[in-house]
Amino acid sequence: MLRRMTPYLFVLPLLAFIAVFTYVPIVQSMNLSVREWDFLSPTKPFVGLDNYRLLLDSREFWNALRVTAVFAIISVPLRLLLALFIATQLLRETWVSRIMRGALFLPAVTSTVAIGVVFSWVFSTDYGMMNALLKSIGLPKIAWLQEPHVALWVLIFVNTWKQLGYDIIIYIAGLQAIGPELYDAAAVDGGRKGHVFRRITVPLVMPTTYFLLMISVIEAFQVFTIVDVMTKGGPAGATDMLVNMLYRVGFNLFDIGVGSALAVLLFILLITLAVIKSRVIGRKVHYEA
Amino acid sequence: MGDKMIAKVGKMSGVGLLALLGSTMLVSADVTVEFWHSFGGGSGEALAQIIENFEAENDGITIDAQEIGNYNDIVTKLQAAIPAQRAPDAVIMEVTRYGLFADRGVLKDLTPYVDADPLKDDLFGFAREVGVYEDKNYIVPFNSSTPVLYFNKAIFERAGLSEDTPLNTYDDLLAAAQQITDTLGDEGITGIAAPGQFARWGLIMGNDSDLIDSVSGEILLDAPNTIEAYEFMASLVHEHEVASPDGVTQENNGRDAFLAGRVGMMINSTGNYGRAASSLGDDAVVVPMPCNKVCAVPIGGAGIGILSTSDSEVQDAAYQFISFAASAESNALWFSETGYMPINQQTAQQPLAIEALAEKPGIDVAINQLDFARGRPRPPVVTWMRASEYDLWQAMALGQRDPSEVLTEFAESTRAEAERLER
Repeated sequence: MLRRMTPYLFVLPLLAFIAVFTYVPIVQSMNLSVREWDFLSPTKPFVGLDNYRLLLDSREFWNALRVTAVFAIISVPLRLLLALFIATQLLRETWVSRIMRGALFLPAVTSTVAIGVVFSWVFSTDYGMMNALLKSIGLPKIAWLQEPHVALWVLIFVNTWKQLGYDIIIYIAGLQAIGPELYDAAAVDGGRKGHVFRRITVPLVMPTTYFLLMISVIEAFQVFTIVDVMTKGGPAGATDMLVNMLYRVGFNLFDIGVGSALAVLLFILLITLAVIKSRVIGRKVHYEA
Repeated sequence: MGDKMIAKVGKMSGVGLLALLGSTMLVSADVTVEFWHSFGGGSGEALAQIIENFEAENDGITIDAQEIGNYNDIVTKLQAAIPAQRAPDAVIMEVTRYGLFADRGVLKDLTPYVDADPLKDDLFGFAREVGVYEDKNYIVPFNSSTPVLYFNKAIFERAGLSEDTPLNTYDDLLAAAQQITDTLGDEGITGIAAPGQFARWGLIMGNDSDLIDSVSGEILLDAPNTIEAYEFMASLVHEHEVASPDGVTQENNGRDAFLAGRVGMMINSTGNYGRAASSLGDDAVVVPMPCNKVCAVPIGGAGIGILSTSDSEVQDAAYQFISFAASAESNALWFSETGYMPINQQTAQQPLAIEALAEKPGIDVAINQLDFARGRPRPPVVTWMRASEYDLWQAMALGQRDPSEVLTEFAESTRAEAERLER
């Protein structure tokens, strides 16, 4: 009996940790999503699916979903393409590439709040470095964080700048795992650089791409800190992403029921995206050369 | 009827006496009061001094003061801390946003304490009124303010404006802001900071309107004068371009730019007096708010409330501190260091206050505005309305949406939310 139980006992602490900090809150959120509560009232009346109905009928929710989707669709491929390109350039073990890897990784370990504050000033319309630069070359100033179509691009830029280093390091690890004999064979056969990259590098680094895709899509849908620090979802909702809306509804407007319903919808959305990615892209991933 | 009345009065006196005894005598064992507040920098130092003075006079009571963030942060963190049973014992609450917490029973009814405290006779009428919600006293004011108009004398001079330039109406403000921007815009100096929410409220009141009527509770967001005021404020940014849009998306940017000498004028709380004086020195000039249609300003600031979940001896100790913080001596220290208005009628006789009034020009502007200062509404919906207003202001100020359309919609949704909260 004890012998059979031993493995379970080993994983029990971790299971308890995950249960307390992940599974219980998920169940609790689902419960709150069908109730009306403002954090302060002693009662939490059951309201059925009213919170979901309210959310799906609101212009704000569809705007946040659209903004988040645009953010993910642009920022994820941008990150992965840039990271793969830079990783291939930094693959050689030279002192320059080592310094560059460290430099590019620095933003990934820097406080997101600090990055947000610094870039808020960099992109300030009247007092920022970017517009000072534009002015010095005779160009008109741009309302980086006040122009709805521009503000989202600024957030995409800042988020990409922050996350790129992490993606590069993971890609370098993936690229280093590709056996040099494949490149040697391609060289003997007279393979051109682009051809080798398309036919050897891209397919063999696919497991890494798949991993980064999964992670970066989840990150893109959960982006919050940069939005909160730099724009708070503004101007006028132009950068109001799902998690920012969730925070605003739950913690500023005291509607925990609707906030929880939004959290549940986000959870379902991310699970669905993960399943689709697994079905569509996962099949093309080969873990052995 | 008479007997009942006598019994009631007797009962009330008993409760009052108990509260007074509790607040002045019963705190004998060591007690720590966790106190959340929103003051950093110079204001934080002044508060620390008041706490130090209190602890020196009250052996056995420790005030564990924690700076939590701004008023919005406090509301957010408090509501998260309550179900987690991590709420503090005393908390600073902004005067329009404590109603929700009082309504839900989170804040202790301080009426017995206040009734038994001689302090109540010393407080100004406005200061007594701001703590009352539905006939009960839930907070005791600590920092009270009105918005005032600050301008930078050096920028005015360089723009060809005299110190006596009239700044009484919307048109006056716009004309001065326009002249500054036209003259000094190439140097990156703008005429006026985009008004923050407190300033917006002040400009609306000066246009003979309000957001919510403080007496009847009627929602006035779509009243013609409110719409007109928003149209004017929004036009400063997107039409006349005399206010930087930076201050629209991040309200503090406008204030920071003014303090850095990059903006000619700023409408802000009198609580910024200390900061303005230390940043701009003699160039910081304070004048009353414009009276576009009428002279009226909102009373802002915050008071200290006590959480109903705290132990009774901690509540007693917390009230002792609250009473001390509102005393004439403490209030004089606070007034002279920060510029927040005196809340105690005896404050002006204190040496620190006398010195400040004599040596700090403009520190009395907010006090002089008290003649036409108005309390603001504090039903539960105000918290929701204030949190929602930021996005809509951005849409109007950045020229993305028409103020009339936005405010009509906003008024309707606020009425619906008020009804929901009432239920």
